[in-house]
Amino acid sequence: MPIVKSPPTSRALARAWFDIGTQSVGGGSSTLFLIRRILVERLGWITMREFTEAWALSQLSPGIHLVALAGLLGRRIAGSRGIIVSVAGMMVPAAVITAIATALLGEVAQHPFTIAALAGIGPVAGGMTIGLALTMARPVIQRGRWAILDVAVIVAALGVLLAGAAQTIVVIFVAGAFGAALLGRERPTSSDAPMS
Amino acid sequence: MPEQLQLFLIFLKSSALAVGGLASLPLLRADLVPQYVTDAGIVQALAVGRLAPGPNGLYIVSLGYIVAGWTGALYALIGASLAPLVMLPATALARRWLVSAWFGGLVRGVSLATAGLLLATGATIVAGSGTQIWQLALVAVTVVVTVQGKLHPAVMIVVGAAVGLALGR
Repeated sequence: MPIVKSPPTSRALARAWFDIGTQSVGGGSSTLFLIRRILVERLGWITMREFTEAWALSQLSPGIHLVALAGLLGRRIAGSRGIIVSVAGMMVPAAVITAIATALLGEVAQHPFTIAALAGIGPVAGGMTIGLALTMARPVIQRGRWAILDVAVIVAALGVLLAGAAQTIVVIFVAGAFGAALLGRERPTSSDAPMS
Repeated sequence: MPEQLQLFLIFLKSSALAVGGLASLPLLRADLVPQYVTDAGIVQALAVGRLAPGPNGLYIVSLGYIVAGWTGALYALIGASLAPLVMLPATALARRWLVSAWFGGLVRGVSLATAGLLLATGATIVAGSGTQIWQLALVAVTVVVTVQGKLHPAVMIVVGAAVGLALGR
């Protein structure tokens, strides 16, 4: 059994997640890195083992995995209070900054310079979306002979959406049912773990 | 259904039915374009989401703001914050399900489909934002850089803006 220690105050907890949410520009792995460094290494509120387990569970969550991770870690640190403080601490300040940045961009959206800049940002946004899709597809494809099924799902979803043959939501439900029936043979491998 | 409620449900649904931050994009695009926002608005939201702090999935707050101002941003924030928290009761009540083969398969099926949907959405964004040679070159470079994952994502947004200012007028 770990040594029982009293949970941190809401203020301290909110401060830690505020730092995580506002210092992690670019999201994803940089946020994950900060969570580990601040909560595990600096503050010691979470063990590395708890962090790894919560991370694995969060990968199964709908929506933003980091929110699920914040909720799971927050509960571990300070119960239901910890959930609310952690999720709000990570999300609200970052969301306010995001909304303000959007408003500022909207103010100058019609300026010729902005229009020209967006002509270059558009391809980058599209390229990032494509690159992220390839990154998502990469680990699930390395599964030996079942990879053909994986590729079939990706190609089918791509084709259906481009052809406008079915609604996006239908594609997701069908793929989920197909996966539950046919893709559950192997467990995720340790190479999917977050930390090197 | 009142329009406000409908808007909130669009944001909640997109987060509840997607696995991963940007995975909500195909669903949001299906529900919001063209009634509420154009593809140009989506590009702006993606760019702001990359430049602003916080998880990638926070582009949804930017999109909410573009669609309906601070109210839209609030809807998006609440939707994006609530949906993943379904994991909290799930890990307490149904841990056995979560580690079962069929559930792993379900998540994998949804993730793979999302990858395909995001490929299509990315292609649509590319097509909508211009297909001059320099723009296609930017797409190619960004894809490579994103897959490699070494360069900070915000850097490519800045590079795109600079190239656009130099060549896009």
